[in-house]
Amino acid sequence: MVVGLGLSSAEKSYIAGGIAVDLRGDGRGRHHFRDFSIDTSIIPQANGSARLRLGGTDVIASVKAELCAPPPGRPHHGKLEINVECSPTAAPEFEGRGGEELSMDLSRALQRSFLGGASGAGAAIDLASLVVLEGKLCWMLYFDGLVLSSDGNLLDALSIAMKAALSNCGLPKVEITSGTNPEDDADFELNEEEFTPVDTSRFPVIVTLTKVGKHYIVDATAEEESQMTAAVSVAVNKKGSICGLTKRGGTGLDPSVLLDMISVAKRVSQTLITSIDAEISAAESRHDDQ
Amino acid sequence: MFLNSQKALLKSDGTRLDDRLPSHVRPAFLKTGAVSVAAGSAYAEFGSTKVIVSVYGPRESKKAQAFSDIGRLNCDVKFTSFATPLRGKAGQDVSDKEFSVLLHKALEDAVDLHSFPKTTVDVFALVLQSGGGDLPAIITCASLALADAGIVMHDIVAAISLSCVGKDLLLDPTYKEESQQDGSVFIALMTSRREITQVTFTGEWSSTKASEALELCCDACVKLGEVMRVCLKEDAAEATEDT
Repeated sequence: MVVGLGLSSAEKSYIAGGIAVDLRGDGRGRHHFRDFSIDTSIIPQANGSARLRLGGTDVIASVKAELCAPPPGRPHHGKLEINVECSPTAAPEFEGRGGEELSMDLSRALQRSFLGGASGAGAAIDLASLVVLEGKLCWMLYFDGLVLSSDGNLLDALSIAMKAALSNCGLPKVEITSGTNPEDDADFELNEEEFTPVDTSRFPVIVTLTKVGKHYIVDATAEEESQMTAAVSVAVNKKGSICGLTKRGGTGLDPSVLLDMISVAKRVSQTLITSIDAEISAAESRHDDQ
Repeated sequence: MFLNSQKALLKSDGTRLDDRLPSHVRPAFLKTGAVSVAAGSAYAEFGSTKVIVSVYGPRESKKAQAFSDIGRLNCDVKFTSFATPLRGKAGQDVSDKEFSVLLHKALEDAVDLHSFPKTTVDVFALVLQSGGGDLPAIITCASLALADAGIVMHDIVAAISLSCVGKDLLLDPTYKEESQQDGSVFIALMTSRREITQVTFTGEWSSTKASEALELCCDACVKLGEVMRVCLKEDAAEATEDT
């Protein structure tokens, strides 16, 4: 993803050789994630926010909630919108078109994983739970990701940060004052004292498998990513269902390899989800103590 | 809601609204040489989806671009303003851009970029009528146009999409089916090598269902690849007769 790392051929063969013997440059095995830390409630203006540090990768995610009319033809559903920004402050490559393209790639991959099908089934949040008044008023959740620093595996990092931001998110209680009749417009008051949490149990995490040589690794660093032939990002939820899949990199993949990658991603995701949940609750309790 | 949508898309005998079985693709029409001034071109119809792709080049890369040892593939997808039911559908710009990226990713590995160093091959796709499965139609058509232009390729690329509606897997969905889908799969496959160049999943899938969908799509792509080869051979034979 990041071009111009300027690796020598010795460094390249060191990376490839390490992956082949299941011992990577930083001592990890092929299917091990780097240690990560999560901070929550870092943006006071947002309904929920989180910062994730995964090795040298540093991302922020925020969730903002707005009341709006339900999407046309779907009175029982709320709305989600996902957007990612890569600021040139993180890396000079993000300036101009390079950043735009990467932002679009990341946004699309996240949308594919979190928005579900055209009917709204399989979305990362039960869209029906976002309805305030059927056919008239629903919550629209804006997920915004920001890349502060990039050392590979941005997509997975953003998905984890968004999950943490969502579990940090509280929706203010809405009191409908009038407009319960079908003809009238809804009138409401926001109660900024009481908040309801959003159910995050369906929210998937993305595990990207980066293929270097014959093997695939999880949580690749920027250096490892520069040596990839192909990468497959699989979104997996707690139940072990696949919620979205995106392929990057030019090289073709055999269908059986793809299926194997999916099963590896599923296995890795389950331990990852457990450690993310632990990190999130640790961050929340840290926050409560302050 | 779930039941309603199923009822609307599948008839009581298990066939779809256009009398296809869930695992059947729409009738296709493929023809190369649609645009006479282009180095290569193709026209494709999949049901009511109609696309035209022309290929220009290899020609000199734009001055602004950095030096590249290997060739470049420049892909651009446009929808006509009358392609969709709503004229110039909102958000069309976004999907134009996204389709261009996905088209590039699907073809990149199949084209031998080393065979035209320092130059650019332009692939311009135009969707005349959007009737569902637009992206696979564009990719399939573009791969024919590249072959028609005589660009060296490792293999031809065939692409197909699939909609999941309730429990049913509908291959090669129409616009209506796509707008009600719970999930979708799209793959682009190099048919002889059986290598996937591009793949996306949306919606929730169990492993068994995902592999079933993948197999359905791969088989359909291999069959489509055969049809593409026949089309290329026939059109080439016709062209030699004419001269």
